Amino acid sequence: MSCPICGKTSVEKYRPFCSKRCADIDLARWLNGSYVIPGDLAEEEERAPEGPLGGASDRPH
Amino acid sequence: MTENSPKKSEYGAESIKVLKGLEAVRKRPGMYIGDTDDGSGLHHMVYEVVDNGIDEALAGYANYVSVKIHADSSVSVRDNGRGIPVDMHPEEGVSAAEVIMTQLHAGGKFNNTDEGGNAYKVSGGLHGVGVSVVNALSDWLELKVWRNDKVYFARFEKGECVEHVREIGDAPGEKGTEVRFMASAKTTDPEGTFSNLDYSFKTLETRLRELAFLNSGVRILLEDERPAEPLHVELHYDGGVKEFVKYLDRSKSALIPEPIYMVGEVRGIGVEVALWWNDGYHETVLPFTNNIPQRDGGTHLAGLRGALTRTLTKYAQDSGIAKKEKIDFTGDDAREGLTCVLSVKVPDPKFSSQTKDKLVSSEVRPAVENLVNEKLGEWFEEHPGEARQIVGKIVEAALAREAARKARELTRRKTAMDVASLPGKLADCQSKDPADSELFLVEGDSAGGSAKQGRERKNQAVLPLRGKILNVERARFDRMLSSEQIGTLITALGTGIGRDEFNIDKLRYHKIIIMTDADVDGAHIRTLLLTFFFRQMPSLIEHGYLYIAQPPLYKVTRGKSEVYLKDQAAFEEFLIHQGIEGARLRLGDGQEIIGADLERVVEEARMIRRILQAFPTHYPQSILEQAAIAGALVPGRVDADAQGVANAVAERLDLVALEYERGWSGRPTQDHGLRFARMVRGVEEHRTLDGTVLRSGEARRLAQHTTLLQEVYGTPAKLIRKDREQLIYGPLALLQAILSEGEKGLTLQRYKGLGEMNPEQLWETTLDPSARTLLQVKIDDVAEADDIFTKLMGDVVEPRREFIQQNALSVENLDF
Repeated sequence: MSCPICGKTSVEKYRPFCSKRCADIDLARWLNGSYVIPGDLAEEEERAPEGPLGGASDRPH
Repeated sequence: MTENSPKKSEYGAESIKVLKGLEAVRKRPGMYIGDTDDGSGLHHMVYEVVDNGIDEALAGYANYVSVKIHADSSVSVRDNGRGIPVDMHPEEGVSAAEVIMTQLHAGGKFNNTDEGGNAYKVSGGLHGVGVSVVNALSDWLELKVWRNDKVYFARFEKGECVEHVREIGDAPGEKGTEVRFMASAKTTDPEGTFSNLDYSFKTLETRLRELAFLNSGVRILLEDERPAEPLHVELHYDGGVKEFVKYLDRSKSALIPEPIYMVGEVRGIGVEVALWWNDGYHETVLPFTNNIPQRDGGTHLAGLRGALTRTLTKYAQDSGIAKKEKIDFTGDDAREGLTCVLSVKVPDPKFSSQTKDKLVSSEVRPAVENLVNEKLGEWFEEHPGEARQIVGKIVEAALAREAARKARELTRRKTAMDVASLPGKLADCQSKDPADSELFLVEGDSAGGSAKQGRERKNQAVLPLRGKILNVERARFDRMLSSEQIGTLITALGTGIGRDEFNIDKLRYHKIIIMTDADVDGAHIRTLLLTFFFRQMPSLIEHGYLYIAQPPLYKVTRGKSEVYLKDQAAFEEFLIHQGIEGARLRLGDGQEIIGADLERVVEEARMIRRILQAFPTHYPQSILEQAAIAGALVPGRVDADAQGVANAVAERLDLVALEYERGWSGRPTQDHGLRFARMVRGVEEHRTLDGTVLRSGEARRLAQHTTLLQEVYGTPAKLIRKDREQLIYGPLALLQAILSEGEKGLTLQRYKGLGEMNPEQLWETTLDPSARTLLQVKIDDVAEADDIFTKLMGDVVEPRREFIQQNALSVENLDF
């Protein structure tokens, strides 16, 4: 497994990170709200689950 | 030339005065040369003489200084400068060389007016007391001067001239000065100055190397004749302080390929700086004034730091990095992992003490600051990629520092009290026993409200979390957990946070249950939470304390009964269960299948449907289904008897077709496939199962069920209910018949979000331990979530980074 911050190999004591430094950098980003999952409208429509009745009765021929 | 001078009486009178001066040096040597016991003073003796040679080099007259420790522990220093003047000193009446050797504060370096041709512009000269101090503290000292194509010699004992300067030979073209001295030691004379004469080769080498770096181009030779195997080292660096920095960091890994090097002169002050960052956390900054190191810094260092912080801060702001990371860094952050040599050449510098450990000349600060501001700014403009790396490292230093501080702060919060007063609206449970307590992390305020009302207050706590939606570029809606929410979460858990502070034993709940909507938004918040736990509290997952709630997606009502179903598959199973009630499937041989057996047949039909759905969509599933029942997909069957198989399939197709649409015929094709055709209202309709699909993996998988298919559908089965019956020609038809029966009389409600459930419903489906399903989170699952997270972030961050890099110079206040 590689460190999510710098990509070096993880160290057991700091897993999944390679060092306290990288663990701290990650923590700071959580604590100051830097981690943002970008979304977009197209993606939302694509992944919206289908209607259940439609889905169930469409499939059998 | 001078010793037979007629002014002998004047010389004598003067010399008494001189001896008084040097007597003071011998009485309090520490004031002039430093500690006489720990070796520092002894080594200063050498430096003092070396500095004279270096000063000649600085003035451009010498390029060579050699130092030799002789076997008798005397030391000689030779340079190839102009040579100390040996002509008569106009005021003192003795040779200039003798004046320099016997009078304190004598020499060319005290004339800064630049009027005398012999004056030095800048000078190190260790303590400004001159080589006379060395003479005063030596048992003997011999001076050789090469000048005017001649060699001159003089000898001093205990500071007093015992052999006046005289010419001892010809030396055409040679120039320079050599001083050889035997420092006065207590070991030979109880009245002596130094405890011992143990010169350290290493110590001398270090300082001489420093001088070689600081005085680019000067060749410095160090020899030690004391050991049986004499030591010898030559020091010569053309790259100046840049080479010095590289030398200091020779065993570290550098952040950028070459040090940043700046050199220039501001208002008569020479400034030379080299900066380099390594991946360590230590700061190494060596400031020098006129070749002398300042252990305590001073105005030159202050100027450098000011300019460095200013330039880096400006870059971090202009490039958008500071805004993105939401952090301001300090000077300390900027200097983490920094190796720097700063060398200034200042006329008449002022220090806070005799030892020159701190520079106080106020004019130096703006000189250094202006030069570094200008040159570093230029460098950053010309090296945007490297500038980004440097600022990136500094920002990381700032982040790490801030994380440690905030972690301490969060950990110190007293949970019980502070949690109740938290703005994050934790609804805590009554139990204080972690093993018995559960914490629901609920997405959204309305669902949080339902959960708070519907929960078992005794042992269930609820913390509503809102994925903050950022409308960044209008078209896009980014999701994040605010810093406040993360803080509230950490406080509620009670464990503290950070590698040093986190303590799993203080966890207040042994079930932490993530409860989010079954939509994209919910998935994002779940990903954020899982990633947070995985990265910052992995042991919580390893202990098995983290769960994901499985709220239902559907509520199905039939008459008075209500059923909650968690997803599409569960819904279909429910329909099948309903649909087989009261149904019998009578096979061709008269056997009837009901109940659990029928349910199994329907399950098999579902499986057949899954395989059929895996075929490329342009092959009609109904044809494939009948071909499978006819046994056409069994490997080798078509190759053995293509026409026979074609006929069998056509027969099946006719069986299924309406009476007036029958007439299917089949034949082999050139590619070893099968082609089927029939006439419908005068138009030919045809379908082809080509050679490829007949021999595909899907076909082989379907063929494995041939026996089963033939048993049930070989002769069409009959689905019988009490009021009607229906012929069944294949698994798809059976499934359809059962599902549509199951749907009868149902009302279906799809929950778009948890918030649509009222507190009772939420309790019944998701909170009630006897009814709910919880998914325990395993560390491997979360590693995957982390990958997704990294990808989600990375996909967008990378192009943004490039964008910033490309626009670093033109974009200010980039909206990030």
